[in-house]
Amino acid sequence: MAGSFFRRFNRNKVLLLMVLPGAVWFLCFSYLPLVGTIAAFKEYRFSRHGFWYSLIHSKNVGWDNFKFLFNTDAALTITRNTLLYNIAFIVLGLVCSVALAILLSELANKKLAKLYQTGMFLPYFLSWVIVGYFAFSFLSMDRGLLNHILGYFGVDSMQWYSDPTYWPYILIFVYLWKSIGYSSVVYLASILGIDKSLYEAAMIDGASKLQQVRNITLPLLKPIIIIMTLLAVGKIFYADFGLFYQVPRDSGTLYSVTNVIDTYVYRGLKTTGEIGMSTAAGLYQSVVGFVLVMVSNYVVRKLDKDSALF
Amino acid sequence: MSKFKKRAGLALAATTAFSIILSGCGSNNGNEASSGSGSGSEKPVELIWYTIGTPQKDVDTVMAEVSKYTQEKINATIKMKMIDWGDYTQKMQVLVASGEPMDILFTSAGGFDYVQNVRKGAFLELDDLLAKYGQGIVDTIDPGFLSGSKVDGHNYGIPANKELPQLEVWRFNQNLVDKYQLDTSGVKTLESLEPLLAAIKEKEPEVTPFAMDKNYVPYVPYDYLVTNMPMAVKLDGSELKVVNILETDEMKAALDTMHKYYMAGYVAPEAATTGSTSDLTTSGKWFLDRAQTQPLAENLWSASYGYPVTTTPASDAIITNTSVQGSVMAISANSEHPEKAMEFLNLLNTDAKLRNMIDSGIEGTHYEMIDATHMKNLDASQNYNMPSYSLGNNMLLYLNEGDPDDKWEQFKKFNAEGVASPILGFNFDSTKVATEMTAVQNVKEQFWSSLMTGTVDPATYLPKAIEEFKKAGLDKVIAEAQSQLDAWAAENK
Repeated sequence: MAGSFFRRFNRNKVLLLMVLPGAVWFLCFSYLPLVGTIAAFKEYRFSRHGFWYSLIHSKNVGWDNFKFLFNTDAALTITRNTLLYNIAFIVLGLVCSVALAILLSELANKKLAKLYQTGMFLPYFLSWVIVGYFAFSFLSMDRGLLNHILGYFGVDSMQWYSDPTYWPYILIFVYLWKSIGYSSVVYLASILGIDKSLYEAAMIDGASKLQQVRNITLPLLKPIIIIMTLLAVGKIFYADFGLFYQVPRDSGTLYSVTNVIDTYVYRGLKTTGEIGMSTAAGLYQSVVGFVLVMVSNYVVRKLDKDSALF
Repeated sequence: MSKFKKRAGLALAATTAFSIILSGCGSNNGNEASSGSGSGSEKPVELIWYTIGTPQKDVDTVMAEVSKYTQEKINATIKMKMIDWGDYTQKMQVLVASGEPMDILFTSAGGFDYVQNVRKGAFLELDDLLAKYGQGIVDTIDPGFLSGSKVDGHNYGIPANKELPQLEVWRFNQNLVDKYQLDTSGVKTLESLEPLLAAIKEKEPEVTPFAMDKNYVPYVPYDYLVTNMPMAVKLDGSELKVVNILETDEMKAALDTMHKYYMAGYVAPEAATTGSTSDLTTSGKWFLDRAQTQPLAENLWSASYGYPVTTTPASDAIITNTSVQGSVMAISANSEHPEKAMEFLNLLNTDAKLRNMIDSGIEGTHYEMIDATHMKNLDASQNYNMPSYSLGNNMLLYLNEGDPDDKWEQFKKFNAEGVASPILGFNFDSTKVATEMTAVQNVKEQFWSSLMTGTVDPATYLPKAIEEFKKAGLDKVIAEAQSQLDAWAAENK
C-alpha cells in the first residue's frame, strides 16, 4: 500500500507541486485560523504567556458574544440590507456582466473591443476610498456635479448625503460600475471557448443573432453561470465593507439603507475592540454562508444534476 | 481504497505544515527564555518600545545613540517601533492580543484606549515597581497625573508631564478679525458668536465662518464617562448623576443654536461627513473654530499655519480623566523585563539629556543649542521629527527658538489653576454591558455628527435619537454606570 502511494505520488508530482502553493495558502490562512474560532465563545483577556495561553484560559461565556448581533432593532435592518443588496448585486451583476460579455464578443473590431474591455476593467482596481471621492465629486452638496446640473434645470440642490431615498440605487450603480468589467471577463473567456462551428451551423439554418445567443451562447454558459452564482451565494452574508462605509462617507442619516453586518460590527467594536465579539460575528457569517451554499447546491442538484458544484 | 490514500496524503501534508509552524513557535519561546535568564548577568537588556507617530527615518540611528547612554546608566538598550497615527489603535490591538514581545507601549484616552486595555489585562500593574524603581517619577510629575490615571485604585501607566487641564478655546483667523475690525473679547458662549459669524458670512461669502469636522461636539459643562458617548455627569458637582447628554437642557439649547447656524450657512454643508478641516486652515479660508489649548498654543498654531491665530476661552480649565490620560506609557503585561522598563521610564522622566535625545535626536546632527536652554532644529531634523507629547515628561525639554524663558513655569501655573472634574479618577467599566455598548455605539454613529454639526433639525431628530438610544439599551448602561459611580463615590469620600 505504501509502495503504491509513492508510485502514485511520483507519477503526479508535477501536478502536486502545482497545487502546493494554493494548498499551503489555504492551510495557513483558512484552516489553521479555524482553531481561533473558540475565541467566539470566550471573553478574551490578555495574559503574559502569549496568545494561545490567553485564548485557552480566558473565561467561557457561551453564546454571550453573539448577543450584540441580535439584541436590537438594528439586527433586522442590517440583515435585511445585507441580504437584499447582495441579492441585487448577484442578479444584476450576473445579467449585466453576461450581457456585456456577449456584446464584447460580438464586436467585430477586436482592437476597439480590447479598449472597451480595459476601460470597464479599470474601476475594479480602484480602492473604495477613491471611488468614494469620485462619488463625492458628483454628490457634494455645494460643489457636486449633480447639483450643478440640477441647478441648470432649475431644480433645488439636493442634500445627497443626508437623504436616504436614492442611496439604494446609488450603491447598486456604483457597485456594478466597479465590478462588472471584471466579472464579465470570466464569461467572455468561456464565450470565446465555444466552438465557432455551432454558430456557423446556426447561421446557415438562418438563426438570427438573438436566436444564436438564446440557443447557443446562454446554454453553453450555464455551468459557469451556476458556479459563479453559487460562489456568490456563499458570500451573501458578507457585505463589501468599502462600498457601504466609504461611498456614503459614513453619513449617519443614511444608515437605514447603508448599514450592513460588516459596518455594524466595525462601528460597534472599533472602540471596545472585543476580539470575542468580532470573532462571533465572523463565525455567524461563515456558518450562514456555508448553509446557503449547501442549500442552493442541493436545489441545483435536484433541478439539474450535472450543473451542481459537488 | 484510493480515496483513503488521498486522505492519508492530505493528512501527511497537513501534519508537516503544522509541525513546521509549531516548531517555529517553539524556537521563538526558547529565545525568549534564554534572553530572560540573561537579564541577571552582565548582558544588557533590550527594551522594546512601541510608540505612536509617523515612522521616522533616523529612529534606529538615534536609538543606537540613546542605547549607548542608557546602557551606561541602567544597562539596557532601546529598540523603538513607531506606528503611524491612524493605524496605532488597530495595529496595537492585534499586536497585544497576539502576544508580540514588547516592554513599553504608548496608550492614551484617544489612541489604544488606556482604561479599556487595563481592563483587558494588556498592562502590568505598576504600584510596586513605581515604589521601588520609580521614585523620580513620583517626585517630578504633577501628582494630579498619577492619581488621575489610576484604574480601580492602581497605576498601570506613567502619564507624560504636560498640560493637565482641558481648556476649550475659540480660535480666530486674526487676519479676518483685523480686516473687519471685529471685537472678539466678549466671546465665550456659542450664542455669543452670532454677530461675528453673521458679519463674516455677509462680507466674505467664500470663507467658511465656523470651521468644524464631523467630530465636532458643542461644548456643554459636562464630563463624559467615555469620550463621545452620551453618558455624562454635570461638571458643577452639584450631584453625581449620570445622564444622557442629549436630554440635558444645555445640549438641547446648543443643538438648536447649531441648527440655526447651519441653516444660516455659517457651517460648511458637508460638515457632518468631513474628516478634517486642514484644507481650510492651509488656505486660510475659515474664520473661527473650537480647539483644545495649552499655554502658548497660539504661537504654535500661528507658526504652523503661517498667519496669526488668536484665541478666547470657550470653557473653564477642567482636569478630566481624558486630559489626565492624554498620553500614558505603560509596561506590557508580557514584558520580560518589567524592572528594567520601569528604571528606563524613571530615567526618561527625570534625565533631561535622555529626554531631549529621544525628542530631538542627536545634537549637532538633528539640532543645535543656541544657548543653555534654547535649541534650534537643523535640516536633518525632518528625518527625526517626533511628537513630544507622547514621549514622557515635557517639562525637561529644551525650549524652541523664540519660546519665552518661563514656558514651563506657565505650564505649571496653568496646571495649578485647573479645576478637577467631580468624576476625576472614576473609570467606567463597560464589560458588564458590552452588548448594550455596541448597540449604543451604533446609534451614536448614526445620529451624532448630523445632530452636533446642526445638519439636521433637532426638533425632529433629537427625540428620534433619544428613542433609538433607549431601544439600544442606554438606560441599562446609565444604570450600570450610576451604580459604579455611587460605589466609587462612597469609597472616595
